[in-house]
Amino acid sequence: MTVFWFLVREGLKGLIRSKYSGAFSIIIIAISLILVGFGYVGARDTLFLVDNIRAQFDVDIFLHETASDKEINNFEALLDSMIEIQKVHYISPEKAAVKFKKEFGEDIFDMLDYNPLPPSFTISLKPIYRNLTSVEGIASILSKKPGVDEVKYRKKFLILLEKYQRIILITVVSVFAFLALLSIILTSNSIKMTIFSRREVISTMKLVGATNSFVRWPFVIEGTLQGFIASCLAALFIYGVFYLLNNYLQTVIEYKAIISYRFYIGIVISGTLMGLIGSRRAIRKFLK
Amino acid sequence: MINFINVDCTFRKKAGVKNINFSVNSGEFVFLTGPSGAGKSTILRLIYMDLFPEKGKVIIRNYNSSSIRDREIPYLRRKVGMVFQDFRLLSDRNAYQNVALSLYVSHYKTSEIKKRVYEVLNQVGLGHRVHYRPYELSGGEQQRVAIARALVKEPVVILADEPTGNLDPKVSIELMNLLNKINKRGTAIIVATHNYSLIPRVPGARLIQIDEGKIVSIT
Repeated sequence: MTVFWFLVREGLKGLIRSKYSGAFSIIIIAISLILVGFGYVGARDTLFLVDNIRAQFDVDIFLHETASDKEINNFEALLDSMIEIQKVHYISPEKAAVKFKKEFGEDIFDMLDYNPLPPSFTISLKPIYRNLTSVEGIASILSKKPGVDEVKYRKKFLILLEKYQRIILITVVSVFAFLALLSIILTSNSIKMTIFSRREVISTMKLVGATNSFVRWPFVIEGTLQGFIASCLAALFIYGVFYLLNNYLQTVIEYKAIISYRFYIGIVISGTLMGLIGSRRAIRKFLK
Repeated sequence: MINFINVDCTFRKKAGVKNINFSVNSGEFVFLTGPSGAGKSTILRLIYMDLFPEKGKVIIRNYNSSSIRDREIPYLRRKVGMVFQDFRLLSDRNAYQNVALSLYVSHYKTSEIKKRVYEVLNQVGLGHRVHYRPYELSGGEQQRVAIARALVKEPVVILADEPTGNLDPKVSIELMNLLNKINKRGTAIIVATHNYSLIPRVPGARLIQIDEGKIVSIT
């Protein structure tokens, strides 16, 4: 127990003794975590946004104006039975007229004496079928069904989305991976600097007969504490920024970040682990 | 206790030591003398296995330089006390903590550490300077703390590399008297020095003279 407490005490004292280099390490780790934290939220929300845009993708199926109730019912039953379809919404000619008025501000009956709007269905596809190949296949099948006049969807939009989604995904993942890698390198180097400034202690300990693990522990404890303090600071900073963003700037930028407490716990655990692993790796070099 | 058998060791491409053969028995006092760069420090470093021979072997009790494993070196160093010209005390801790470090690394209990550190600091005449940091102590006092740090682990030998190099003549003599006193209690001492005036201070000490990495004479 004497040795255990000695090592813990040495670790704590080391943190205080290292002053500037220790504070520098903490700041570097905190900045790294802040970058990774914002990088993560940015990546997550960009991908979420793309998914959301895709989720809004609908296919409109217009039936002939003359379609009977029976044909409409049969067609609805067919749509309900298709596994690719998530949601089916029927728009009767009357509802279409109301929608027309809402969208264009004019009553169709004032312009024409009759309602030319046909009965239609708006369908949403399941996420895995929201791609060009599937949509084209489904549209082609449906357009051949009896009573169907026209199948419409935003083809150009889908082509553009498919083209850019890949680029967005690669960019977002690369930026996040770059930030994560940068933070590991920065953390490891700043801990190395802290240890380098105390190489005198290491060589003296080794001269008086300390084993490598005895020399290592105070530095690992110190590095872990640095990581923990830095990650708490980073979590506080990120919380503060999102608090301001959500409470004061939301109306300006029309964005609300939803961040669960698990994200902050993740930051603290990552930072602490970075300190632990970084110091273990850094001390290894000085023990050779 | 210490045996050098046909030892060759080159250090940083400079001439180190060549074909060194000598032995030191328990409780002996030995002076290693010779001009600067003769190889005195190399010999001491070979004893605490900071350097290893390219040829031959160094045997310290049951530790053999040709077969020792890295993880055994700390245990050898717990049996060998070291004192340097530049003291090598940790400036961020006081005399007590500097000496106690030797015992913490050897996993002693707190009560035992306390008892032994106070005892040994009294022995070197620093009982009243226990809580002083190195920069608050004179050169002679700092070297006494270094000796206490070496002595506290009850080593079989204390190696002193130019221990008086940074001290004035009066303090140097006091220090040699202290080492002599320690030796009389049974600890072997090897002092590497180019200050020949220290030798008469220890009557009966053996003298190994080195020049250009070779032993010139052993008396």
